[in-house]
Order: sequence, then C-alpha cells, then structure tokens
Amino acid sequence: MYNLFSRLPFSFLSLVCAAAGILFVAYIGLIAVVMSYAALTVEFSQSARNDEAAVAVLESQYLANVARITGTDYAADGYVKPVSTLYVRAQSVTALR
Amino acid sequence: MRAQFRSRVRLILAFLIFIAFSIVVRLYFIQIVHGEEYALKADKQFTSGGGKLFDRGSIYFTRKDGTLISAATLATGFLVAINPQTLGDPEAAYAAITTAASSTSLSREAFIATAAKKNQVYIEVAHRLPEENGLALSKQNILGVEVFRERWRFYPGRTLAAQTIGIVSYGSGDTLAGQTGLEAAYESTLARSGDSLYRNFFAELFSNVGDLLVSARDAREGDLVTTIEPEVQTRLENELAELNQRYGSKESGGIIMNPVTGALVAIARYPSYDVNNLQSIDPVELANPLVEHVHEFGSIMKPLTMASALDAGVITPETTYNDTGCITVNEEKICNWDAKARGVIPMREVIVQSLNIGASWVARQLGQDQFRSYFMKFFGVKTGIDLPNQSAALLSNLSKPQQIGYDTAAFGHGVAVTPVQMLRALGALANGGVMVEPHVVGAVRLNSGIERELDWSERTPVFSPEAARATTGMMVAVVDEKLGGGKLKIPTMSVAAKTGTAQLTAPGGGYYSDRYFHSFTGFFPAYHPRFIILLYTNDPQGVTYASETLNATFMDLVHFLIDYYAVPPDRGLPAEGGSASGEPTTP
Repeated sequence: MYNLFSRLPFSFLSLVCAAAGILFVAYIGLIAVVMSYAALTVEFSQSARNDEAAVAVLESQYLANVARITGTDYAADGYVKPVSTLYVRAQSVTALR
Repeated sequence: MRAQFRSRVRLILAFLIFIAFSIVVRLYFIQIVHGEEYALKADKQFTSGGGKLFDRGSIYFTRKDGTLISAATLATGFLVAINPQTLGDPEAAYAAITTAASSTSLSREAFIATAAKKNQVYIEVAHRLPEENGLALSKQNILGVEVFRERWRFYPGRTLAAQTIGIVSYGSGDTLAGQTGLEAAYESTLARSGDSLYRNFFAELFSNVGDLLVSARDAREGDLVTTIEPEVQTRLENELAELNQRYGSKESGGIIMNPVTGALVAIARYPSYDVNNLQSIDPVELANPLVEHVHEFGSIMKPLTMASALDAGVITPETTYNDTGCITVNEEKICNWDAKARGVIPMREVIVQSLNIGASWVARQLGQDQFRSYFMKFFGVKTGIDLPNQSAALLSNLSKPQQIGYDTAAFGHGVAVTPVQMLRALGALANGGVMVEPHVVGAVRLNSGIERELDWSERTPVFSPEAARATTGMMVAVVDEKLGGGKLKIPTMSVAAKTGTAQLTAPGGGYYSDRYFHSFTGFFPAYHPRFIILLYTNDPQGVTYASETLNATFMDLVHFLIDYYAVPPDRGLPAEGGSASGEPTTP
C-alpha cells in the first residue's frame, strides 16, 4: 500500500481537495436540480389547475344547457300532448343487419 | 511508515465525514428548520403573497353512462393587492385595476383612502380576476400593485343539489372548511394539507419515514364520486320548482333512489340557493331539510303498517274488517278521509281507498309491542346516509300505553320522521322486505389514482318477501285504479304508489283544519324496481289532498325515468295487433 501511494502522481492533500471539490459541485448541482424540480412542479401543477378550471367552465355550460332544455315549456312552443297513446310490441331485430 | 499511512487515512476519513456532516447539517437547516420560510419564498415567486393557495378535492356527479361531471371544483384566477408604501400613482393604479377587475365593487374614493394607509404594505383590493385580465394587469408592472394567483371553490351546477353538496366557508375557525352537506361530511377526504409541492425525500426521511413508504394522506385524501345523476337531478328540481310555485307551498322536496343499492340518484328541495353566491342567503336555508327536518307524512305510512301486519302473520291479504267510517279511541275520534263507512271490506281496500279506520284496525291486530318493534326498526336508528346533522324520528307516542298513539301512527299521524328515513323504510317494500343504506357518495377517487368503492352493503331485513310483495300489489292497484280515476295507469309498466295527506301541527298543540302536508311515494317496475321516488310539498294553498298536487309531478318523473333509462316494459305488452293489458308479466 505504501508503495502504491508513494508512486501516485499527486499528494493526499490534492486527493482530499479534489474530493471536497467534487462534493461541493455535487451539492450545488443537487440544489439546482431540487429548485428546478420545484419550479417545474409548481408550473405543471398550476397548468393542470388552469385546465381543470377551464373544464369546470365547460361543465357549467353543459349543466346550464341541461337546465334550459329541462325547463323548456313545449306547450308554449306550440307542441301539444298526444290525444291518445298506443303501446305496441317492439319489432324484433337481428344481431346482424 | 504504516503508522504514517494509517494517520493519513484517518485524516482523509475525518475530512470526508466532516464534509458529509456539514452537508447533512446544511440540508437539515434548509429543508427542515427553515423549510416553511423557503416554501413561502417559492410561493411568492410563483403564486401569491398571502400564503398557501386554497386547495380542495372535487365532488362529481355521475351521468348514467358513467361520465363524471364536476359538482364542486376549483376555479383559478388572480387577486390584486396594493402596497401603499410603494404605490406611486393611485389614480393610474385604480384605473388599471378597475379595467382588469370590472366586477370589483371598490369605489374610487375607497381605493384612494386605502392607498393612503402608508403604514401598511399589503392590502387586497380585488379578487377573482379572470386569467387573461390578471396576466394583462401583471404585465403592466405598476409600482405598488401586485397580482397574485388565487383559487376558490366553484360549483358548476350553481343551484344543482345545493343542500346536498354543501358549502365551504371559514365557519368559526380561520381556515376554509366544509360546513354543510358532503363538503362537511367528507371534510377529511376533501381537505388538502397543501404542502405536497414542497415534499422531498430528505425532509421526510427526518420527519416521517413511515409516510415516505406508505402515505396516510394519500390513502385518505381524494375526490368524491356521487351517485347523483345530473340530468335526473335537474329534472327533479325543475318539477319541484313548478310544483311549489303552482301551489304556493312553503317548501317542496323529493328523493329518487335505487331501492336495491340505496344509491340516491337525485335529492332536492325547493327553494334552493346558488352555492356560488352566498352573500344574500339566510343561513337557515343552508340546512338540508331532507335529513334534518321531521314531518308527519300521513297515509304513505299505511303500506308500512300493512306489510308489518302481513309479515307478523296477524292478517292476510284476504282478511276482512268492518269499516264504520269513524271510531273513538281514548276519547279521540278518528275518521276516514271522507268520514264514510265502507262496511266489510278486504285489506286491499285499506291501501287502495286509503282508509284510516282500516289502518288503525290493522295496528290493533299487531298489538302495541309488535307495532312498536316494527316502527323502531324503520325509524328508531339512523339511516346511515352520508350527510351531516341527521335528525332523530319523533316516536314518543309509541312509548305510551294509549292506543290512540298506535292507531294514528298506523296512518302516519303522531309520529314524525325525516324524508330520508321515510324513503329508506318504504324502500324495503320495493326490495323484498330489506332496508338498505341510502347514500350519496359511491366512491372516493384517491390522489394515488385508485378509486375506492365505499361499502354500503349493510342490509336490514324487516318484512318477508311475501309481505312486501302483497303490499306492493295493493300499491299497484292504487295507480291502476285510483290515480286520476285510473287514467294514469301505464299499460306496459307496473307502478306502485301511495299518496299521503297529513294535517299540519299547530304551534299550540293539535292540528290545523285547513293546512296540509302532502306526500307521495312510488316505485317501478313494481316487482323489480329500478327507482323509488318520495315527494312532498309543505302547506300547499287551495288544495286538500296529495293526489291533487303530486300526481302529475310523480307521473312526469316516472315517464321521464322510463324514457331516460330506457326501462323495459314489465307487463301488458300487447299481442300482435292487440291492445295493451294491465297484468304484470313478472312474478
């Protein structure tokens, strides 16, 4: 072991400094990654919320249309109830046609 | 040399440990000690200055094809705040803000007065700006005017199922929470912790390693999927509004339920309110009378009395009694609705002609103990419905020895129950004698994406299937022979129904002689029901009997449901070229 280290082209101090440098860069990198991740998460989350809100507006329009159709007074539009109702047996249908 | 090598290795190890320890300490301070501070800084960069954005789970209606439609969701927009200390030109700022927030009620004078409060740095002046307006105002970069992201609760259906969905407000605390309806009943599911954006492995490793592996929050928080069908709900609300307006009633209500599963398809009360605009709402209106108010329902109680006696074996459908028109019990006089005697008649006529004397006679055949036992099964326990503030039934007459209490309870007087309790008990007639748990929420869609079906499988047998079927037959005769003089009969669909008219109780005791509570129940197809309907209208003007007020509403709903769900005929299909008959084809 002694021979091995004595033959290396750099000192222990250099090794330690390099290790510390690598760790520092990794630390900075991790912080950058975490911050970017947080920013993207917020951005995507808000984007999803905006889309949900847009869908809610469409749903609101759908429900308003359902209410309008349900509340339609067909008599006022000139329609009348049938004089009589005749119940008939449904025609049998084949699976293939 | 070996010793020197060891010392160097130790030195390197110590240095590495020191570096690692420093990093751990630094991370600890950043993510745990100062975590909230940094989260707030992040909020300020991306969202609002007022802390966390409001977040809450959604509530969905379920269309008949399974499509989910939002009943309660979140809307997004912007709020505008000013910093009086840095606001340069209040007039220009006011002009820009009112252009962007056209709906703001802030007057120019009020804004100028607000801007003059130089000791403050943050005053909100406009809320709920539309997306594009908020972004446009933000781009103007007006000194002292800040635009922040904002979210709020939004109900796309506005008045639709308002009392059932409920509201979110501050209540007595300082956080927004569900106060009524499903919003309150499922608060723990709908509420959001709000810090999920800033969750990270390192912080959770220190704070709660258990949550990192299996998150209790993810297993609890989610969206509610209700069983309410929006088009049926709309139809029911529309019918109730028309009914209420036509007769000038104090209020009207209705519930449509699947009697086999207990799933409520529609539940409504008129008048209702717009959940998006609560500023002018009387807080009393926020309650849900369908689970919170009790009523004496009148004659729709008779089928329950009849089925109880049939189940107990004290009568059969062929049993006869002598109807004298009026009787005196405990010095109180009880009469039929028309006070006329019918003579010796079978049990069927008690339901078909809605005879009070007959119902009282049946109650006496049961005896007080058995009668009480059945009614306690129907109404003595909570229904299990997932709505808050359920009221208990008023059954005190059944704990007294006077027979009058039992005789009147047999036709729905002297005992008061909620509409949901009444529907649950009547549902047993439609479900082979078994009561189910009425419910509004069928499933919870968890944040993890998993949809968890809720367990509503509790069943309470109260009658034999034979007793339920025999009573159902009597109720079918009501529709086929009595309603509208038999003109409302549907040749291809057996419909079981019963009307109820009860005198309203007067404040000082006793009953009004000219004010009524009308009720109506029915289910179809009678022998394999898909739907059971309960309707009521409270204090209608100018009419006496429920058959006058609720027949049309009930039959409109029946025809709508048959068409909407394509419910197949269960009887009377005409032979080729023949006319329809009225006999059921199913057992």
